[in-house]
Amino acid sequence: MMFHWKIGTAALLSAALAGGTAAFVMATPLFAQEAVKLELWSRQDPSGPLRAGNVVKAAERLNKELEAEGSPKRVEVVVRESPAKGFDDDALQLLKVFGIGEGPDMFIAAHEWICAFQEDGFALKLDDYIAKYPQHFGTIFPSLWKAAKCPDGTYAIPQDAEARMFFYNKKLLREAGYDDAFIDSMPERTLSGDLTMDELLEIAKQVVDKTNAQYGVLHRPNKGPDYIMVFNAYGNDFADPETGNLLLERDKLAAAFGWFERGVKAGVIPANNTAMEFDALRKEFYTGNAAFWMYGIWDLGSVAFPTYGLPQEEKTFFEDWGWIAGPAAEKGGSPVSLTHPIVYVIAADTKEPELAVRLLGHASAADLNTDHAVTTTHLGIKPEQLEDPRYAEAWPLARATDLLKITKFLPNNAQFGELNGIIYAGIQGVESGRLSAQEAADFVIDEASASLKDVIVK
Amino acid sequence: MATIADELAIERRGHRASAARRRTNFVIFLGPAIVLTILFFVLPVIIDIAVSFTDLGRSLRITEFTTEQYQKVFRTDRRLTQVIGLTFIYVFGTLAIFNVTFGLILAITTTAIQNVSGSFFRGVWLLPRMSPSVLYILLWLWAVSPTEAGLVNQVLMQAFGLRAPLDLLTTAPVALIIISNGFIGASMGMIIFTAAIRGIPEHLFHAAAVDGAGTFAKIRFITLPALRWPISFVTIYQTLSLLVSFEYILLLTKGGPFYDTTVYALYVYRRAFESGQYGYGAALALFLIVIGIVVALIGWRFFDMERLLQRPRIEVH
Repeated sequence: MMFHWKIGTAALLSAALAGGTAAFVMATPLFAQEAVKLELWSRQDPSGPLRAGNVVKAAERLNKELEAEGSPKRVEVVVRESPAKGFDDDALQLLKVFGIGEGPDMFIAAHEWICAFQEDGFALKLDDYIAKYPQHFGTIFPSLWKAAKCPDGTYAIPQDAEARMFFYNKKLLREAGYDDAFIDSMPERTLSGDLTMDELLEIAKQVVDKTNAQYGVLHRPNKGPDYIMVFNAYGNDFADPETGNLLLERDKLAAAFGWFERGVKAGVIPANNTAMEFDALRKEFYTGNAAFWMYGIWDLGSVAFPTYGLPQEEKTFFEDWGWIAGPAAEKGGSPVSLTHPIVYVIAADTKEPELAVRLLGHASAADLNTDHAVTTTHLGIKPEQLEDPRYAEAWPLARATDLLKITKFLPNNAQFGELNGIIYAGIQGVESGRLSAQEAADFVIDEASASLKDVIVK
Repeated sequence: MATIADELAIERRGHRASAARRRTNFVIFLGPAIVLTILFFVLPVIIDIAVSFTDLGRSLRITEFTTEQYQKVFRTDRRLTQVIGLTFIYVFGTLAIFNVTFGLILAITTTAIQNVSGSFFRGVWLLPRMSPSVLYILLWLWAVSPTEAGLVNQVLMQAFGLRAPLDLLTTAPVALIIISNGFIGASMGMIIFTAAIRGIPEHLFHAAAVDGAGTFAKIRFITLPALRWPISFVTIYQTLSLLVSFEYILLLTKGGPFYDTTVYALYVYRRAFESGQYGYGAALALFLIVIGIVVALIGWRFFDMERLLQRPRIEVH
């Protein structure tokens, strides 16, 4: 009896267990959804809130895709915002964060910094993934991929592009005595190499002398890319084409610093430009107290339209405002413009590289990228975007695309960020009258040779 | 015999007990101070020395131990001479003009006038020290703003008919950092000197008056001799704090224009935190530590601080 009872009980128990397990197994797709948290490091940046926002939106699309595939995984994006003032500060901060092992899964960076991350083993090599997902990455402009490469492969996904230029105030130029034909031909003359860097200073001087405007040319008051355009105009490319090492040419550096020196001596560039506040500089230009403002196209959508009420309608805008590329150093020389793509990078140690790639692939969708492009006047990354009516309506984008023909990139060298800091200090030295142009060139070469590795000096 | 032995044993136990109590007291009363000193003063120096012999860079990684940083300090860094020269001007200037001299003048004048107005002026001069550094420097930035809206320019242009606004941050940055730091530094000297002046027995002044001494003679022969030690203390203490502090300079001029107001401590900061050269920053900081110790020892010897810290031989009531 006992024995039978035992067998009976055992049978019952096994049946119950088996049933339970079966029920559990069947219910698994419902209950065993596995949440994958992917952390995205993003700088708080009013000129590009959708860089992170699009990744958050992309998670919805990726999750639908995962559901359709029957995968139990669901992605959740956690955005970690950093308060750094610029991409350079942000990159230095993030390198430290990675250094102590607290790095995110993905991050947003300025393209010239990616090799610094790659060199220290923090960035994931993406070539195979990019080839694997042509639906996401296949149509991104080939030129932009250049900005995503380090010597041994691709380490980033282009997020946007832009164009940098000299904005100018046509009203002030008219007041200074230039006629409309001259003013309206400036962009063309610049692109053909007829208008030079020194003529720009001359025009600015006329404005300062003959109008109430106080300033001729203003530029950013911190380390960043735009002023590198001036160095490009005087033939500095900063990278040795053969080795990719940093290249400094004393005469060309001195020539570029000379432009800033002449600008300050002529009373056109304020000696304390580097000590002024960003917002104060913008205010001086957009409220009509400066002839030229060396900056980038996104400033229209991010600041000029919303904050200073510049006309958003194309025709009205060009009545009083305009822009030119960076002029050539000498007549007949090459004009310059600079594009400074922002990129998405995936951390080398992320647990879910595949999901991160797919997530960023969805974030790079034409419609999402266009949202970013048209709201902040950045250039898109895919040809499909050009067909979007919203993109076509955002005339600054179409107009700025002209400059892409002559645009250059900053070199993707791990040390360029540091070199740029030294160049900026040189500009500050020249403008404040502490260094002559030649001394500034010597200063940059001394400092770079002392603190950076493998610098080629000519 | 037995009793004597017992007594000795008891006495020894007593000694042991009191020795044990002394050790316990030592741990209880001095322990926390010693632990804190080691944690916040000794350990950082040791870490700094260790880091200075590495190649710790922007991603906080050490790949090798090296003396490269010291080679940089002595061979390749061309900014250092200028930075050290400026630091000397800054520390000596602030100390000589404000922290000691102006502090002394404030103390003597505010104790010479009526008590109420004296306290009022001392209170006014304490304000910069009491206000948060960021707020204090914001006020300065407004005062020396290179536009017509700056306080200095408003005064000069409206009251003195100056045509174009001055840009003091570009034309006189070193003077600005000395003045802005001095306004704060003067108050410490002022307080200490005032206390010392108040401590001088009143009858000495009366006696001097009877002897026909005037105001300056009283200051020269009574007040100043009594202030010898406070002056030594303020000089040494403020030298050390001026050497290592840079927050006001960083906020006011960011060390610029160019490197014009980059004092040594700020230079260390710029190297380490603005360019990510932590190893090099550590090597530079080590010299600051050494200089600090040397200055303190020189001061100790030169101003006879040991006597100042000695217990008074007799108690005076």
